[in-house]
Amino acid sequence: MEQAHQRAIAVIAHIDHGKSTLSDRLLQLTHTVSDRDMTEQFLDRMDLERERGITIKAAAVRMEYKASNGETYEVNLIDTPGHVDFGYEVSRSLAACDGVLLLVDAAQGIEAQTLTNLYLAVDAGLEIIPVLNKIDLPAAQPDKYAEELSALIGSDPSDVFRISAKTGDGVPELLEAIVAKVPPPNGDPNAPLRALVFDSMYDSYRGVIQYLRVIDGSLSTREPIRFMVAEYDAEADEIGVMSPNARPVDRLDTGEVGYLIAGIKEVSIAKVGDTITSKKHPAERPLPGYREPKPMVFAGIYPVEGDDFPLLRDALEKLKLNDAALVYEPESSTALGFGFRCGFLGLLHMEIVRERLEREFDLELIATAPSVGYEILMTDGKVKVIRNPTDMPDPGQIQEIYEPYVSVMIVTPSDYVGTVMQLCQERRGELKEMHYLSPERVEIRYHIPLGEIIFDFFDQLKSRTKGYASLDYEPVGMNESNLVRVDVLLNNQPVDAFSTIVHRDKAYDYGKTMTERLRKLIPRQMFDVPIQAAIGSRVIARETVKAKRKDVIAKCYGGDITRKRKLLEKQKEGKKRMKNIGSVEIPQGAFIEALRVDSDAGTKS
Amino acid sequence: MSLAPALTRIDGWVADPGFGVYVHIPFCAHRCGYCDFNTYEGLDALHEPYVDALVRDIERWDGPTAPATSVFFGGGTPTLLPPKALGRILSSVRDRFGIVAGSETTVEANPETIDEAVLEGLLQAGFDRISMGVQSLAPRVLAGLERRHTAGKAVEALEAARRAGFRYVNGDLIYGSVWETPDDLRLSVEGLLETSVDHISAYALTIEEGTPLSTLVKTGRVTDVDPDVQAERFELVADMLGSAGYRRYEISNWARAGHESQHNLLYWCAGDYLGFGAGAHSHIGGRRSWATRLPRDFIDAVTSEVSTESGHEVLANDARAGEALMLGLRLVDGIPTVSFNQRFGPSGLQTREQDISALESLGLLNRDGSSVRLSVQGTLLANEVVGRLL
Repeated sequence: MEQAHQRAIAVIAHIDHGKSTLSDRLLQLTHTVSDRDMTEQFLDRMDLERERGITIKAAAVRMEYKASNGETYEVNLIDTPGHVDFGYEVSRSLAACDGVLLLVDAAQGIEAQTLTNLYLAVDAGLEIIPVLNKIDLPAAQPDKYAEELSALIGSDPSDVFRISAKTGDGVPELLEAIVAKVPPPNGDPNAPLRALVFDSMYDSYRGVIQYLRVIDGSLSTREPIRFMVAEYDAEADEIGVMSPNARPVDRLDTGEVGYLIAGIKEVSIAKVGDTITSKKHPAERPLPGYREPKPMVFAGIYPVEGDDFPLLRDALEKLKLNDAALVYEPESSTALGFGFRCGFLGLLHMEIVRERLEREFDLELIATAPSVGYEILMTDGKVKVIRNPTDMPDPGQIQEIYEPYVSVMIVTPSDYVGTVMQLCQERRGELKEMHYLSPERVEIRYHIPLGEIIFDFFDQLKSRTKGYASLDYEPVGMNESNLVRVDVLLNNQPVDAFSTIVHRDKAYDYGKTMTERLRKLIPRQMFDVPIQAAIGSRVIARETVKAKRKDVIAKCYGGDITRKRKLLEKQKEGKKRMKNIGSVEIPQGAFIEALRVDSDAGTKS
Repeated sequence: MSLAPALTRIDGWVADPGFGVYVHIPFCAHRCGYCDFNTYEGLDALHEPYVDALVRDIERWDGPTAPATSVFFGGGTPTLLPPKALGRILSSVRDRFGIVAGSETTVEANPETIDEAVLEGLLQAGFDRISMGVQSLAPRVLAGLERRHTAGKAVEALEAARRAGFRYVNGDLIYGSVWETPDDLRLSVEGLLETSVDHISAYALTIEEGTPLSTLVKTGRVTDVDPDVQAERFELVADMLGSAGYRRYEISNWARAGHESQHNLLYWCAGDYLGFGAGAHSHIGGRRSWATRLPRDFIDAVTSEVSTESGHEVLANDARAGEALMLGLRLVDGIPTVSFNQRFGPSGLQTREQDISALESLGLLNRDGSSVRLSVQGTLLANEVVGRLL
């Protein structure tokens, strides 16, 4: 279809604000899905289904809409990932669009993450159509939130659409507005091919399936192509569109959105953000905005059973096929054995990877406390990057330490401004901006070290604001900080799994917490076991597990002997499974328990 | 099995400790909350048939026999049965196995079941040792343990036993329960010492899995025992009994010289014994077996002329040596290495040499030229020691 009749949009919305339901209505109104085939949350379900032996993700769906002016338009609905960890992917999805629907629950108002994505869309220069959903709810306050939205995007409250995706009320008008307000793509059909990869997935039958939008020129089946950033050559084995099911086509023209299968075996070969060009008539330069996925959060992942190490290695290799952002390298720990130091985009990404490893590969895993990557300027002028606290050099060799900071955006009811600010200050935050969205709601922006966010920041924010505040963040570079490594020693032996890097002012708290926690978890031994937290050789906290005084069967007579012997044999078996740190015997469970508290607290965002 | 042993009283580990017969009486007037022994209340109707079955089971024994060097009637509460019934059973033991003259013949008793007539009957039946379940002389501890006697009754029963002519009188104590204060324990030990007991067994209360007390602890209605408190109480008991002239010869047992329990020493020396009655255990030369636990089943088995055995295990030689260490190290004088090697061969200790030295350097075991024993510190940590030697 000619460019003037094409539209590509994304929906920016907070989880539960009704994106899936709105998609359902749009699919129905455009007859992309017949009423008979329609099920609730159609696109979400499609992700799970298999068509022709391959899984097609509903990353983009093409709809044909006959507008009231009698013209037929091709409307592409492009999906955006829903989480802060995937901010870069969101930006690429938006780069493939001409406009966005800013969809907000009329009973709740805009949330932090939606706000972040809105700003991305504004930066990308996209047409923004504000929409309040769920106006049929008794708790809806459309007037109030229309004010809020229009103030944010600089429009008039009367421009805010009021719909109920559930009942369909207002959706036809919205669809009209999409073709009327969102501009058509403005690429050059005669220029050499440039197509933006905005999503990709791995399918075990077909290899990598890439989702793209043709920005300039056109792409034909069997055409030799080149991924410009990856400098990787391939052939377009199959190209097609989803409407909503995958349908191969011969050609994708300027402005069209579709998928590509090019015999690529691993998503990390040609990543999201790359530009596809023609091998015969290549473009001069790729589309702007490509970024390598950058892991921000690191953790050691270990099998609970040491024998499972090869299985874990295989599982990571398989996951990597499907996840360009996952990085890992083998490491070993005295406490946990052999495992991998893995890098993740953020806490959710970490949680997703871990869950998939456990669920899809049936592995039982233990993760160390998450850490961030530090840059250390050494006294000899070299720069060392460390992702595992145990790699930190001696304090004497360190000139300066830099840690990653994030710009944190929090949207909170104004009643909680003080509480939220206090939390951010506790986490070494620096207030950057405060902006009243309305008299009742505030947007607050802080710069905070990422290392402070990956512990229980999100939980704390939620609990201190009774669940009303929402959070989003994005990296803003490295800053120098007064950081130290705190080691935990058992009976004077350091336990690597518990070493951590913290701000000097917080070292004591960390040390105290860990030593107290371990005192409760480590069983009494035959001798006193000191548990110390130390910075270098300086002990900052100490607890003692007192020696066991009594462990004896009181009564041992005839009848009891078999039973008592079995009791003691069981005890002996238990000891065999213990880990030895020096001469201290520790059940594996104690390590897991000690680490679990942190990971539970740190990964709920 | 040892044949025709000459009767020599022992006070520590020997390679050939004799042969014992144990008889189990699985009845109590009340089953106490802490108790995990095989005993039942409210089975009065079974008393007579049970005695008949016991007698019959002893009579029909067709395995190897030897004259007994010790006999022990335990429970339950054996004295819940009339002395005549106990006498009938003891006679059947004598008839079937023979009892070496002068052998220790013990009956367990609860104070509330004892009066002069009962004591007289027990003596006539042939018992010469009585072991009294005193447990405590502090009313709140007795109440917590659900014991039904008073402190006064317990003391009276012990004195009556001595007056009646028992050669050996033992009092059992249980310490370290949550209901007990140090003074309660001190007064209980003092009270016991004022009677003329020659033997005292003092056990730290153990919360056994599956008992009503364990349920109370798990649901938080009773506080769990504190091993550190129990260690302190052990020292209190040990100090008091030691200064009163009782020698501790096993982890939980004290006696005046020459009054050590012969039957229990047999167990600690990993000796041979046959047990009769519901749930009773036997050990003959590395074969451990146990009878069906329910009195009704026991009676039925005997009546229908089938074996009462419900399970057994046969220990390989190294396992026997390990078990012998587990039992023998409970004795304060430990295990004489020469006799041990005679009985189990030198490999028993040799294969464990590394662990033994490690335990020695941890200060838990002591070795002199001739024996291996628990150190003072190791006494209360015997599980740690034995756990490595099994």
